[in-house]
Amino acid sequence: MKIKLELMMKALIVLFCLPVFVFSQDFANEDFIYLKRHENIKIELTDHKFDIAKQVSEQAEYLTSKKLYFANEVMPFDSFTSIENIDAYTYLPMSNKKVNVDYIETKREFDNGVFYSDQEAKYFTFPAVTEGAITNLNYTEVIKDPRFLGMFRFGSYVPTKSVQLSIEFPKNVTIGYIDFNTENIGLDFKKEELENSNKYTWTVDNLKGFQGEEDSESSLYYVPHIIVYIKSYEEDGKTHNVLNGTKDLYQWYASLVDQIDTKDLDQVYAIADNITKSLKSKREKAEAIFNWVQENINYVAFEDGLGGFIPRSAASVCSKRYGDCKDMANVLYEMLNHVGITSYRTWIGTRDRHYSYLEVPTPMVDNHMINTAIIENDTVFLDATDSFVPYGMPSAFTQTKEALLGIDGSTYKIIKVPAQKPEQSVSTITSQMTLDNETLKVTEQRNLTGYDKVDFITDYLYKKEDKTDEEFLNTTLALGNNKTNYTNFSKENFDNQNTPLILNYDLNIENYTKTIGDKSYINMNIDRTLSKSNIDIKDRKYSKKIDHKFKKEFTTTFTIPEGFKITYVPEALSFDHSNYGYSITYITQGDQIVQHKSIYINTLSIQNDEFESWNEFIKSINKAYRKSIIIEHLP
Amino acid sequence: MTKNIWIVLLIATTTCFSQHYKTYNWTEKPQLHKLSSEDTKASSIGILKKHIVEYQSSLLSDPKLYETEHTITRVNDDKGIGQNNTVYIPMNGVKAVVDIKARTINSKGQVTLLNQDNIKEIKNVEEYGDFKIFAIEGVEKNSEIEVLYTVEKEFDIFGSETLQKDHNIKNVQFLFITGLLNSSIKAYRTDVPFKNVTVDSVAAKLLELKDVPAMVEEEYATPNANKIEVAYQCYPNGQNYDQDMFWGNVAYNVGSKFFPKDITEHANDDLSLITNGKTEMSNFEKASRVVNFIKTNFTIVKNNNDELTNLDYILKNRSASDYGIMKAYGHYLKALDVPYEIVITANRFQFKFDPDFFIPNMLRDFVIYLPSEKKYIAPDRVDSRVGEAPYDLLGNYGLFIKDNYDYYFKKIVEEDPNYSRIKRNIDITFLDDFDKVSVEEHQEYTGHWAETNRAVLTLSSEQGLKEFKDYLTGSGIEDKEIVEYAVENTDMNQLAYNKPFIVKSKMTTESLLENAGDSYIFEVGKVIGIQSELYQETKRINPIEMQYPNQYDYTITVEIPEGYGVEGLNTLAIDKSYKSETREKICKFESSYQLNGNKLVITVQEYYRSNEYDLERYEEFRNVINAASDFNKASILLKAKE
Repeated sequence: MKIKLELMMKALIVLFCLPVFVFSQDFANEDFIYLKRHENIKIELTDHKFDIAKQVSEQAEYLTSKKLYFANEVMPFDSFTSIENIDAYTYLPMSNKKVNVDYIETKREFDNGVFYSDQEAKYFTFPAVTEGAITNLNYTEVIKDPRFLGMFRFGSYVPTKSVQLSIEFPKNVTIGYIDFNTENIGLDFKKEELENSNKYTWTVDNLKGFQGEEDSESSLYYVPHIIVYIKSYEEDGKTHNVLNGTKDLYQWYASLVDQIDTKDLDQVYAIADNITKSLKSKREKAEAIFNWVQENINYVAFEDGLGGFIPRSAASVCSKRYGDCKDMANVLYEMLNHVGITSYRTWIGTRDRHYSYLEVPTPMVDNHMINTAIIENDTVFLDATDSFVPYGMPSAFTQTKEALLGIDGSTYKIIKVPAQKPEQSVSTITSQMTLDNETLKVTEQRNLTGYDKVDFITDYLYKKEDKTDEEFLNTTLALGNNKTNYTNFSKENFDNQNTPLILNYDLNIENYTKTIGDKSYINMNIDRTLSKSNIDIKDRKYSKKIDHKFKKEFTTTFTIPEGFKITYVPEALSFDHSNYGYSITYITQGDQIVQHKSIYINTLSIQNDEFESWNEFIKSINKAYRKSIIIEHLP
Repeated sequence: MTKNIWIVLLIATTTCFSQHYKTYNWTEKPQLHKLSSEDTKASSIGILKKHIVEYQSSLLSDPKLYETEHTITRVNDDKGIGQNNTVYIPMNGVKAVVDIKARTINSKGQVTLLNQDNIKEIKNVEEYGDFKIFAIEGVEKNSEIEVLYTVEKEFDIFGSETLQKDHNIKNVQFLFITGLLNSSIKAYRTDVPFKNVTVDSVAAKLLELKDVPAMVEEEYATPNANKIEVAYQCYPNGQNYDQDMFWGNVAYNVGSKFFPKDITEHANDDLSLITNGKTEMSNFEKASRVVNFIKTNFTIVKNNNDELTNLDYILKNRSASDYGIMKAYGHYLKALDVPYEIVITANRFQFKFDPDFFIPNMLRDFVIYLPSEKKYIAPDRVDSRVGEAPYDLLGNYGLFIKDNYDYYFKKIVEEDPNYSRIKRNIDITFLDDFDKVSVEEHQEYTGHWAETNRAVLTLSSEQGLKEFKDYLTGSGIEDKEIVEYAVENTDMNQLAYNKPFIVKSKMTTESLLENAGDSYIFEVGKVIGIQSELYQETKRINPIEMQYPNQYDYTITVEIPEGYGVEGLNTLAIDKSYKSETREKICKFESSYQLNGNKLVITVQEYYRSNEYDLERYEEFRNVINAASDFNKASILLKAKE
């Protein structure tokens, strides 16, 4: 038995929680499809005040009665929006009956990531759904802030027969838009001039469904969608910008920053002075301040209206000892500048949002805040929400993203956060192996730097749960087989510093080597990094995401037991590509076989046209992993 | 399930006493507690958890009820802080908040008091109702977090409190103040007795526990249901009840709702859709048709809509609460003359049902028992059909209610010992001069296995289906290429009893073969898929409970190419078992082999006849579980004949 039931249950649970997406051109094989998903945004402007209402109209059909759970509907809203005029019903063509939705509840959900949020949702369940049922939903979403027109996804998790977004706006208003992943869906765009307004309409027919895959990028990378926004309007003979460019977005952010409560900053300065008093260089000071915030401000997130955009006072964050990303960014800002280090509050989108500030000048572009310090001509990205990222490295999930640095009330600068090199996240593994009867005994040391270190510490603290060290190491390092016995486990530098994390342990691996007659077969590859990374090219649709670049260097020494001689040593093998590769060599030195193995990943994603090359790499490394040395009893 | 099955038939009179919650307070000048070095190694440790339940009789109305919770927790690292620095106080059944306060004492002894303005209220969270929430202020490593609050609650005869957490607690106290009111109290999973004490000259009971260990997650266990807990009852002034009155009351209330006297017209109208005009049917088929009909036409809804228990509304809207749906079953089964009983029980992973003490909180899961078939219906579970009881109820007691509202208690067990099985015939050949291995498989899954397979296949997302296909064709073979794959009997709506779910597949792989000089090492054990390993570095805490009894029978046939012989077969023979006192094997893993000409035939039988095993014999059980993992590592050598 074992493992499987849990796995299957997990598969079941996942589908109830995740908005996942499905593919098919032939809707006959589907269980549930949208007949239409239409949204019409209507903008009115009077006396510099916008009235914006989005009319949503959806119709769906149950082609089978297998997935009745689609009857559960959720319409989220927060303090920037409201949901009104909900009209929903189920139509049963077989009996020509209409059953109205007569009960709608406003609820909240616990969100593990966010402690307090103003987000609520209207919940209801369509009645009488079964095979053949058609559900209809119409409602109005009132948008209270002209900067939040939001995004429209053409694609959904199931196919849609008719998709449409239209936006109707006064002639003195200018609208901007940018669409993504729409190359191959037959998107039709129409501009109309009506009597008092202009209207843009985007239409797609018979659009397949979109569903996430293992290790794929966030859905924004592949689901066709569009972001529309108000650029500007003319009134009193003047042009008033709303989000005409990054400048307008920044000015709005700057106006929010102006609202930060700056009282009692002396208390914050006193902490900064105290932390840095014995330090000379700016670099040392910056590192000390960054580490203090990492270690002393606990991450607790609040999303509460505009409060979700305005950092709370640095003094209160320091005294309460908790805050979210913007609060930590602001504490860093106050402390660093106080001790003479130029630093900026910085807005940034995580890797999940692949937008550029230059293309998307709306709040959709980012979802995170960090601090950027300039130290002796170096630009250092400081994200204290990651409690273990060493000073000098950005958080892994902000690599390659544009950072918007707030220089002053009207000046900003956009800098790209560089992808960190493989040499910054290195695991160096040194192992000594001996054979005791049929048990392989190993003494190993693992030195981890950069993100390899961050990942291990984070997993150890937050994914280990109640598992013992042995079980945790068996499932994370997965050395030898799952019966590997770990003893004398120790860890040094289990912290947020730039020193390598050092792990030491001894292993007893049973049921691993094979002895038949006089011969023993020993596979020295107890660590099989990447062995399960083959991509199923036939079914795979989207690129594969890699969290960070890395390098692993192994030196494994096997001491030939007394009374044995070595009879077979595998040949050297390697694979070399600019983005990934490995090499394995074996050297015989006296009574020892030394294996050198090095693996590197020098990319953050594997694109579809690289799948074949990637699979060749995985096939090659797996072939190399399967090579054993053979020793034989001396006569 | 949320329901109102206990009808309060009681009124009260009374007298007044002093109120303990008003005088109970924390130390004015707190100091850090002295801890051993062992205690400071843990991420967090409880220093105090004190819970006070105070009933006060009052004139002409129900007694008043106050609850006070006082905790002091030392947090030693980031993880400990993260687990303890946010507080959620449920407002369900709360009439008024008397006081909420919290403070932090940091390692230097500085005290930070919670700013009351930072307490937020959140309304209608999921199914849990309202909460007061706040984040603890001023907490850093090696601080103590102290929280003290009192709420006045709606009078409730029943209550319970869990006294064990996921960290050790040095001192746990449960104080039960009832004065002159009659009451009953029971503690679970501790031998420590209640002490009779007097609090502010009122009679009370105190349970005090020292060094309560953390409850840990373990495999084959129900840790959440194994925590130390107290359950209590306090009756209105002058009244007293025995447990039978409560059970009888529930049996009557539930029975009168779910055993209809007459069938409504709407339910009658549905019958033709259920039977499709068929008249001669076994009770099993009738019940199966009812279940299939409901599960493909009704939706179970979780919200506060009262109509979801109203039969007319349910039948018209085809929507019901998990409680209300029982009425639809009642009407259809009665209309088709299928005898049934109602069973009220609890998920054994959450609660251990106690027939000797009435705890409404335990009455959570409703199932229907078909006495003529000895089978169950789980009315609100989309994935199950007529069969054995759902796995998460097995081993728990249930309250069985008959159509005359009589009731009895029975442990819920599987009646069919062969219910859940997996049979596999695996044929292995070597292709292209040992370039590849071909694995051809015929598998049959029955019972819970089949039910889960059908549900996954029907309900999964595309990624879920990919993972499922991998699981069905032997997980853990990284380079496998699936050449053929077909599944049969996949429809969740079955009418025959325990029809197997069938998988026929063929795959090829290179990764099971390793070239070693003039020989090949073949990792034959891997064809049965990854087998989990049961680790135990620390002493096992929880009793052993499996998902459900089950059995595996595998026949693996390896065709040995001409000119080759096999060696190293000894790892294929494994014999591990756990025997009952009568020397009967209740669980075992046995594998053996036979060499017939060029065919190596490996036979595996693994079974678990019971889902409960003795904690004292954990190592024996573990040996059986791990034997499958041993077999998974078995390899043989194919050597050219000289």
